[in-house]
Amino acid sequence: MLHQWSAQSGQTPREPGHLPESEDLWEQEMEWLRASREPLRSLPYAMMDKRLIRKMREPEGMQMTRWQCWQQKQQTMGQRLGEVARRLAWGFGLWKGALYEIGGLFGSGIRSYFTFLRFLLLLNLLTVLLTASFVLVPLAWLHTQGPGPTLNFTALQCPGSHQAQTYIPRFHNQLWNVLTGRAFNNTYLFYGAYWAGPESSSAYSIRLAYLLCPLACLLLCFCGILRRMMKGFLRRPGLGQDYGVPLSAKVFSSWDFCIHLRDAATIKKHEISNEFKVYLEECRRRQQVQQDTPTQRACRLLSYLRVNLLNACLVAGGISAIFWATKYSQDNKEESLFVVLQYLPPGVISLVNFLGPLLFMFLVQLESYPPSIEVNLILIWCVVLKLASLGMFSFSLGQTMLCIGRNKTSCETYGYNACDYQCWENSVGEELYKLIIFNFLLTVAFAFLVTLPRRLLVERFSGRFWTWLGREEFLVPKNVLDIVAGQTVTWMGLFYCPLLPLFQSIFLFLTFYIKKYTLLRNCRTPPRLFRASSSTFFFQLVLLLGLLLAAVPLGFVVSSTHSSWDCGLFTNYSAPWQVVQELVALRLPLSGQRALQYLSSHAFGLPLLWLLSHILTVCIAQSQANARAIHVLRKQLVWQVQEKWRLVEELSRLLQEPGSSESLIPDSPRFRASHPRFSGPGFWSPGSPGPESPARDPSTRTPPWLSSSYPGSRDSPGPRFRFPSGTEL
Amino acid sequence: MGGSGSRLSKELLAEYQDLTFLTKQEIVQAHRRFSELLPRDKQNVEDSLRERVSFEDILSIPELKANPFKERICKVFSTAPSRDSLSFEDFLDLLSVFSDTATPDIKSHYAFRIFDFDDDGTLDREDLCRLVNCLTGEGEDTQLSASEMKQLIDNILEESDIDRDGTINLSEFQHVISRSPDFVSSFKIVL
Repeated sequence: MLHQWSAQSGQTPREPGHLPESEDLWEQEMEWLRASREPLRSLPYAMMDKRLIRKMREPEGMQMTRWQCWQQKQQTMGQRLGEVARRLAWGFGLWKGALYEIGGLFGSGIRSYFTFLRFLLLLNLLTVLLTASFVLVPLAWLHTQGPGPTLNFTALQCPGSHQAQTYIPRFHNQLWNVLTGRAFNNTYLFYGAYWAGPESSSAYSIRLAYLLCPLACLLLCFCGILRRMMKGFLRRPGLGQDYGVPLSAKVFSSWDFCIHLRDAATIKKHEISNEFKVYLEECRRRQQVQQDTPTQRACRLLSYLRVNLLNACLVAGGISAIFWATKYSQDNKEESLFVVLQYLPPGVISLVNFLGPLLFMFLVQLESYPPSIEVNLILIWCVVLKLASLGMFSFSLGQTMLCIGRNKTSCETYGYNACDYQCWENSVGEELYKLIIFNFLLTVAFAFLVTLPRRLLVERFSGRFWTWLGREEFLVPKNVLDIVAGQTVTWMGLFYCPLLPLFQSIFLFLTFYIKKYTLLRNCRTPPRLFRASSSTFFFQLVLLLGLLLAAVPLGFVVSSTHSSWDCGLFTNYSAPWQVVQELVALRLPLSGQRALQYLSSHAFGLPLLWLLSHILTVCIAQSQANARAIHVLRKQLVWQVQEKWRLVEELSRLLQEPGSSESLIPDSPRFRASHPRFSGPGFWSPGSPGPESPARDPSTRTPPWLSSSYPGSRDSPGPRFRFPSGTEL
Repeated sequence: MGGSGSRLSKELLAEYQDLTFLTKQEIVQAHRRFSELLPRDKQNVEDSLRERVSFEDILSIPELKANPFKERICKVFSTAPSRDSLSFEDFLDLLSVFSDTATPDIKSHYAFRIFDFDDDGTLDREDLCRLVNCLTGEGEDTQLSASEMKQLIDNILEESDIDRDGTINLSEFQHVISRSPDFVSSFKIVL
């Protein structure tokens, strides 16, 4: 079959001395294909060749045993199920059409923002599902209703004229009640409405479920984010040289095949060109920098330090403003005239996060950083500012309500500020609820009151100012930071406001459509596109930081703060975590309790730590050895190729001696043609270029097999490997 | 055209599902789009499986129209002896390689063949030069100057040519591509 094919296509000329060799190679190839178990669809051949390979693997005459038939059926069914499950996990194909449209118009960088939105929506829905099934459904089933507030406040010595309130005043306006969360005070939205009887050894423990639900949700989200982060990050271990994506990989993967509009393609080409030019510029600058004298280097380092110090001062200023705003708002809580004070902390946070990036950009651009470092630096400071402002907000709440970091007499009796807050968890929940609502309202307001008028005005007028202003740019990092901040607040509020993820899901759902509308109608693409991969990693990293930021206060509250005496589930415990200890004592058998005690003691922790550090040392040593081996192998590869060409030259020199009439010199195309070389299964590659030594510049050679005397080049530039099919023979 | 005349048989669908990475809906959709490119009298099932569509017609579909590599893509997937037309099965092969679920290995294999403009099995300097020109477009302000091009190609070869023979062969290409997490998500065409 192979002989006929080679005669038919005329690609290997009839050199009797050399055909058996090429036949050997073909046979090896076919044997490998026949024996390999790789699925047909992942072999790089045309459809008719794949059919032939399948026929080769299972010749018609062979009867498949029942067992093999059944096995194959199971395999295909398993494959189909796996495909369906994968599609489900990708979000039920939600918004598939919209994402495809956005990808086609703007590329995969901006589309990654919208897939990130979808991912967060799924996380929130999962959280709501968990909370509902473990806490709400049993609660509704058991139908418990707690007594009203019973605390006797006369025993307290409240400073000033603050009288302990026995009821929460409502605003006159119904809308304000909803916006501040007071309308939902006695519903299951907030912590205060939950109640359960004392713990018993057999009934379902609502307390345990309520306590463990936020922790389990955070853990699940952590695993999900980590998995997504690592999925595309490092497919295979790098060469050990650097962790960045090398230029060649960027060049080969720079075209986005999803784009199908001509304008978008032109924009993309501009971008790619810019990227290359910027890269070359940076190379030149790096070379220049390496030739700096020590004084110049010191000057440059000092200027970098100065910029970063200024940015740090800005951040410190911003978060202290947030601190004072929160304190002021909490101290003047009950003055019904100044309803705007209710929204003062969210307002200040948003203002700080709006002005901050602008100032960072201004300061960083004063120095002459290379462009990529500039962008990354601004981004890092924006992230720091955002997370620090949320951290400071929760800290100042903790200070007013739990007297963290200061000594106040009102906190001494009950462990929290019982004079001002009858149910402090509800107050915290309200604050976080207001923050989420405010963020969403701000998004809507910006979309319809800033971006839309801007587009209308720019289209209408054509003055110099309006052309300079232009449409708004859709900045992916800024939008991502906004939703990450919202998600961090949701996670912070899981303990105080268990149904907050439900609100967040609704807001994310609406945000998708609002942002899509803004992008498609009112925005233009930024000149610098975000690469989809680096953005995915960056988004997940910031989300992870937000999750850790939310987990720290939660851990602190659960383990060491006194819950309110008057409301909620943990009224008689010194800290919510006590429930776990009580239940362990009640329900587990003695051996179980001893085992748990051992696991949480030092006698278990220290050996575990020793073992982990041992494993880590072994891994590090192994990876260092691998890096050394790779280095040696590379050198060996280069040496072997050089050696090969040296031998070819030697052979040609020997063959050119008088007495050998055969024209089997390396320059002859027939010599080249009869020694095909493979670079992979079935891929015909006549091999590396010409017989010159690699030291010479290969760009000036003309490959001999492309000359007109080469049989294969008559009509098409190169042969294409194909198995003979029935139609051709 | 409705009716059973324009529908593929179940066995054929199952076979195509086996041999490609496409799902049933994607294959049916591909068949519909391919049939639209054929002349009116040849739009039934038997003819559509036999006929070939010339490059001009294939390149007019919106998914390929704006792609700078469209001619190379058609040439690589064409099985015609003169390599100037695509049959339906070639079209399915194309969509399979560019689909969501295709393995990175097969994508990088075909990417290599697409970028190999002179079909000699390696990416040499001319191939890389043409590749960069395709990527940056034909405009005056986007094209790189000769010195910039040389510097860029020198850097690329420095990084990816492991055996230092002046060209990039398939395994070096696949090795370099594996360092780019972007590749799989951008090497996609969906109808």
